[in-house]
Amino acid sequence: MKKTVQIPLGSQHISLLEPIRFKFECENEKIIGVDADVGFVHRGVELACTRKFEFKQVGYVVARVCGLCAITHSLSYTLAVEKLLGYEANDRIKYLRMLMVELDRIHSHMLCLAHTAENAGFEALFMQIMAQREPVMDIQEAISGNRVQFDYISIGGVNRDLTPDLSALIHKNLAALSEKVDALMMLFDTNWSLSLKYKGIGVLSLENAYTYNALGPLARAAGLASDVRSESSDLPYEAVGYTMVLESSGDIHARNFVRLREIVNSIAMCRNIVDNLPVGEIQEKVKGKPKGEAVVRVEAPRGELFYLVRGSGQNILERVRIKTPTFSGIPAMMEVFKGSQYADAPAILASFDPCMSCTAK
Amino acid sequence: MFKSMLEAFLNLFKPLHTGGYPAKEIVLPDGYRGLIEYDGEACIYCDKCEKVCPPGAILFYQQENGEKKYRYNPWLCIYCGECVRACPKPQEALWQSETKQQPALKEEGVNEQWFVWEAACQNSREAYTTAKKAAKTGTNEK
Amino acid sequence: MTKIETTLSSLLADIGTFYDKKIWHFLTVNGIDLGEGKIELQWIFSKYGAKDEIIIYYLISEYETAIPSIIGLIPSAIMGEREIVDMFGLTVSGVEKGLYLDEDSIPHPLRSQS
Repeated sequence: MKKTVQIPLGSQHISLLEPIRFKFECENEKIIGVDADVGFVHRGVELACTRKFEFKQVGYVVARVCGLCAITHSLSYTLAVEKLLGYEANDRIKYLRMLMVELDRIHSHMLCLAHTAENAGFEALFMQIMAQREPVMDIQEAISGNRVQFDYISIGGVNRDLTPDLSALIHKNLAALSEKVDALMMLFDTNWSLSLKYKGIGVLSLENAYTYNALGPLARAAGLASDVRSESSDLPYEAVGYTMVLESSGDIHARNFVRLREIVNSIAMCRNIVDNLPVGEIQEKVKGKPKGEAVVRVEAPRGELFYLVRGSGQNILERVRIKTPTFSGIPAMMEVFKGSQYADAPAILASFDPCMSCTAK
Repeated sequence: MFKSMLEAFLNLFKPLHTGGYPAKEIVLPDGYRGLIEYDGEACIYCDKCEKVCPPGAILFYQQENGEKKYRYNPWLCIYCGECVRACPKPQEALWQSETKQQPALKEEGVNEQWFVWEAACQNSREAYTTAKKAAKTGTNEK
Repeated sequence: MTKIETTLSSLLADIGTFYDKKIWHFLTVNGIDLGEGKIELQWIFSKYGAKDEIIIYYLISEYETAIPSIIGLIPSAIMGEREIVDMFGLTVSGVEKGLYLDEDSIPHPLRSQS
């Protein structure tokens, strides 16, 4: 007699909005085997980047790989092309770029926290966090002129400058958010019903994090000190007060706390940037055509984003390789599911913050 | 426990986070990236905007007498503003407004008409260059 | 960024002796079409805690040649290998098709069409 039951999760499921399918091999309630299918929304972005669009336009194409981390995609691509063109941006441009990336991280982490709360059955908290996330998006809209597709970064600089009005708005909204994040940390730590769904559930051990090359908040929650912000010198993160956030228990609770503490760190960095913005041009002329090969790593909200760009001195690039965080995180995610209860699967999945449109690109 | 119950009770009297959208207009921030606007009189027809546009939302139709006709697809546009930055006469010939584009209706046939227009622009160019070449060889022979 | 050339026969031995999971972070497998039926394959690693230290093992192969799989050494390579199998129509031992593409999709879209 067959002893295991196969239960699918997705590709359409009430607990997750993204098109991903997991096939769980269950022994009663316990998951013993996982199979994942992630390619439901493949759009061929890499092909379009090397056939249809010229290198100056590709930055706007790759921004459409993902809605939440649009800015990190266009940033990594732009950095890669600037390396090929032999151009290094001045400090003001670098700081403005970092400001947008950190604001993006704040609102993306808040979205993930909201979903984790929702999948633990706490609908009210979901609404609350989503409402508190709105002021951050307002800042981004005011800076870049659009709510989701910022199109803020272009080759040779950024498209808009920071005015004193905007700085005041950033300070105002971040101050309000900062109080709310403190309250959220308290809630996530002490709420009894949340701890039932979070503490000790979905554990990724440090050993497995190394073996399966976990990345982003998933790795840092397990105690693996891996953060591109400290491993790359493309952006001056140390100068604005970046500290690595590490937890050790590797469960959902730890992942939530990595995100919450990173929000606090990002808020501090944003304030630093706004207060100490260097003077300089925001847009510089870059001439030439990309030739050679460049790799760029940028820490997106979900982990490390990797771009490999190769050009041959033409307007059309030869290869644009996009490696997104969720894509390489899937083996580690599948490992976490093994051994946990089926009922916890939605909460565990939400705590990974998977981004399927990034993965399938 | 009591604290959270108190909180829940107090929440009843807090203002709504979600605005009354259909009744109240959405307030767009200053500097909202909206539609691209154009003034044909100031335009020098250098075609730079057409070349840089990532989705190809600006097209020029080549008329036989050498003049060009501008056409812009507001639904295809991604409002990135590359065209304005590329324009040699920004704010005069081409500028970005703060108007938000309304969604298209099916009756307007947005895609179908644009595809027709795209093909027409392509053809007009090819016809113009071949005509020009023919004229050139014609004058040479004389 | 350091590039080290390797060969199909020595790939597993090279990566096996080089890779220590506590020091090196495996990024991904990448393929670059070089035209005329040739492809450059890259295995990309970065070092934990070091600034900008990226090592790329690469080799130039042909589309017909079967590529050895490194899943035995690095389990998380499965995603990258499944992707190159789909995108370039390569054969990687023990890796099945169908991560992104379906039966009726265009086969190996990233291969040069000429």
